[in-house]
Amino acid sequence: MKFDVAVVGGGPAGLAAAYKLASAGFRVVVLERGREPGSKAMYGGRVYTHWLDKYLPEFRKAAIDRWVTRELVTFLTEDKAVTLETTTERGSFVTPLVSFTSWLARLSRDAGAQIVTEITVDQLARDERGRFVGVKSGSDFLRADYVIDAEGVNRLLLERAGIVERLKPETVAVGVKEVLKFESRKLLEERFGLGEEEGLAWTFAGYPTEYLPGGGFLYTYRDSVAIGVVMYLKSWDKLKTPVYDLVEKLRLHPYVAPYVRGAMLLEYGARMTPVVGINMAPPKFHYDGLLIVGDAAGFLLHTGVLIRGVDFAVASGVLAAEAIRESGDPSAEALSIYEKKLKSSFIYPQLEKFRNVDRILGDETLFRDLPIFATGVVNRYFTIDDKHRTLFEALRETSKETNVSLFKLLIYMARAVRNI
Amino acid sequence: MKFVVLTKAAVPLSSAIRIDPKTGTLVREGVPLTANVWDRDAVEFALEMRDRYGGEVVAISMAPPTGILALESLIGMGVDRAILASDRAFAGADTWATAHVLAKTIEKYVPDFDLVVTGEETIDSTTAHIGAQTASWLGVPYLYYVYNAEVRGRTLIAKRFLEDEGVDEVYELKMPAVISVLRSSQIPREVKLSRKLTAREHLQIVDNSKLGLDQDCVGLRGSPTMVVGMSPAAYPPRKRIVISGAPGEVAKKVAEVLRELGVVCAVSGLQ
Ligand SMILES: Cc1cc2nc3c(=O)[nH]c(=O)nc-3n(C[C@H](O)[C@H](O)[C@H](O)COP(=O)(O)OP(=O)(O)OC[C@H]3O[C@@H](n4cnc5c(N)ncnc54)[C@H](O)[C@@H]3O)c2cc1C
Repeated sequence: MKFDVAVVGGGPAGLAAAYKLASAGFRVVVLERGREPGSKAMYGGRVYTHWLDKYLPEFRKAAIDRWVTRELVTFLTEDKAVTLETTTERGSFVTPLVSFTSWLARLSRDAGAQIVTEITVDQLARDERGRFVGVKSGSDFLRADYVIDAEGVNRLLLERAGIVERLKPETVAVGVKEVLKFESRKLLEERFGLGEEEGLAWTFAGYPTEYLPGGGFLYTYRDSVAIGVVMYLKSWDKLKTPVYDLVEKLRLHPYVAPYVRGAMLLEYGARMTPVVGINMAPPKFHYDGLLIVGDAAGFLLHTGVLIRGVDFAVASGVLAAEAIRESGDPSAEALSIYEKKLKSSFIYPQLEKFRNVDRILGDETLFRDLPIFATGVVNRYFTIDDKHRTLFEALRETSKETNVSLFKLLIYMARAVRNI
Repeated sequence: MKFVVLTKAAVPLSSAIRIDPKTGTLVREGVPLTANVWDRDAVEFALEMRDRYGGEVVAISMAPPTGILALESLIGMGVDRAILASDRAFAGADTWATAHVLAKTIEKYVPDFDLVVTGEETIDSTTAHIGAQTASWLGVPYLYYVYNAEVRGRTLIAKRFLEDEGVDEVYELKMPAVISVLRSSQIPREVKLSRKLTAREHLQIVDNSKLGLDQDCVGLRGSPTMVVGMSPAAYPPRKRIVISGAPGEVAKKVAEVLRELGVVCAVSGLQ
């Protein structure tokens, strides 16, 4: 059993690499433990297209459910809500990750890659000099000149190979999500005020995570919506509600419930996601015979409001494929062009720029003080009773009532706007 | 010896079963089909006998092309080769018409078979007819719920277990024969990467132009039974009973509620 390239993991990163390599004539095998590529996939809901146009323009033929044309952020408390809304140009699309992944799998197969499912890789195989020379699954050893690790966030193989440490709770969040199906596409469009092909992306802060770091989300697929909660694991011990109940609470919140009334629960899932971006990168992205791509490499941008992983995954897969094509041999030295490519692409610079974001997001100010304060101020400003408040009065009164210092909040905001 | 395993590409879990209330048929969209779980016992049983007595294991399935995935996974377990009988004409078959196709496939492609092995039943339709009906088409003896067997000359000495009676029985069958394997009686072996990589090479797809079966004996037309009505059992509405308190008290109250609802019977000792 010998291949030019063995790819571990049939997610967006691994499949993008396999597609490009197979198209260039390499003998490629993708090993995926799920029943089909994508059967273990789960994410929030949208893919950003700016960089896909450069790295995988074929995506425009993929199954796209809707284009995001409306972007909403809501600060939510038990009984109040303030929502910011903006319209957007078609810069991202919503579609179930499994549709995107199985499309990419078909593309790779057509290009000649072999995809073997229901196979779990137990170990990255090394020779006596420590070079990566293939993978082990059960009692089988599959030889390959190059190995691409695209195993996703829970990188057990890299851990077993001694490249990374065990994941720490501070570096990840857990996402829990429900998919709710509407009777028809039309009904969904009427509820959310969307045209055909138009979609919305909605994030919530405050109430969904009991004012702890994390947030809620809602995306509109074709005739269903994804609704979920992302909860930073570092504050799990402060959480009073089991995380799976948080989604149900969000769905039943009076501000959200009317939108999804009558929709049927179709799917339920949970998965981890990195939250510290490049801070959880392995020491290097290339070793003798090995390249690391996608979530496994820490290529994911999480800013509290948005999660961008799929475009990073695809682009890093494409760059890994280019690196292998240009390397000539699998030595770490030859493969170092992968690192150069990462640095001169958007991947490394953008992640580097947001390196400190998790420190800001770890601060409970954003998730507790801000939602409570913002909803309080706006609510007060619009309430006419014996007083008719100026904005300043509304701010002062809210600050007094909620014990949130306006000064502290301003300093925080100044830090946040620079880093998020 | 030549072993044949009959398998169905079925839904993976009983909880994945959904019935379309309008047509009364199984909803297959969006559910990745896999080899019927109980068939893995049959495959393990046949592989183990092959390892003991030598020979070959052939898996046979009648299914649409999506059945390939199920057969690949059995080849991954170590089945030597697989045959998928697939033709539009076979669609809508009841167990009688299905067994007809299976028996004819066996006769044509494994005429010198010694033992046909099936799973106990399918997880998504639960008739357990196929073994008996295939045996009838083939004109050979059959036995159900077998968990262990050995071969002496042309005789199969098979042990089976009957749950309701709580008895173990030992039978002698003349070979060739058909047996069904007691569910969960075996520990199915792992699916191997090396086998899966070359699975396609061991897989043969045959349609009716090869099998040449009478159109009136297969598919919907060849099916003497028909589902004429279907009334899905309504899901009982959730009770939404919330019980809180100290763990011991909660447990007691839960037991009480379950007893009141008739979910559990009052057993002495349960307080
Ligand atoms: C709640 C949540 C919401 C998100 N929302 C968004 C969003 O809206 N937009 C966005 O762009 N990104 C989002 N993401 C991130 C995005 O899902 C990931 O960045 C992306 O899927 C990473 O792709 P990948 O190929 O690196 O890894 P994965 O998609 O995780 O794929 C890894 C694959 O490897 C397989 N595998 C792992 N180990 C083995 C092994 N040992 N042997 C065989 N196979 C193995 C797995 O089964 C899996 O199929 C979200 C993530 C979560 C958790």
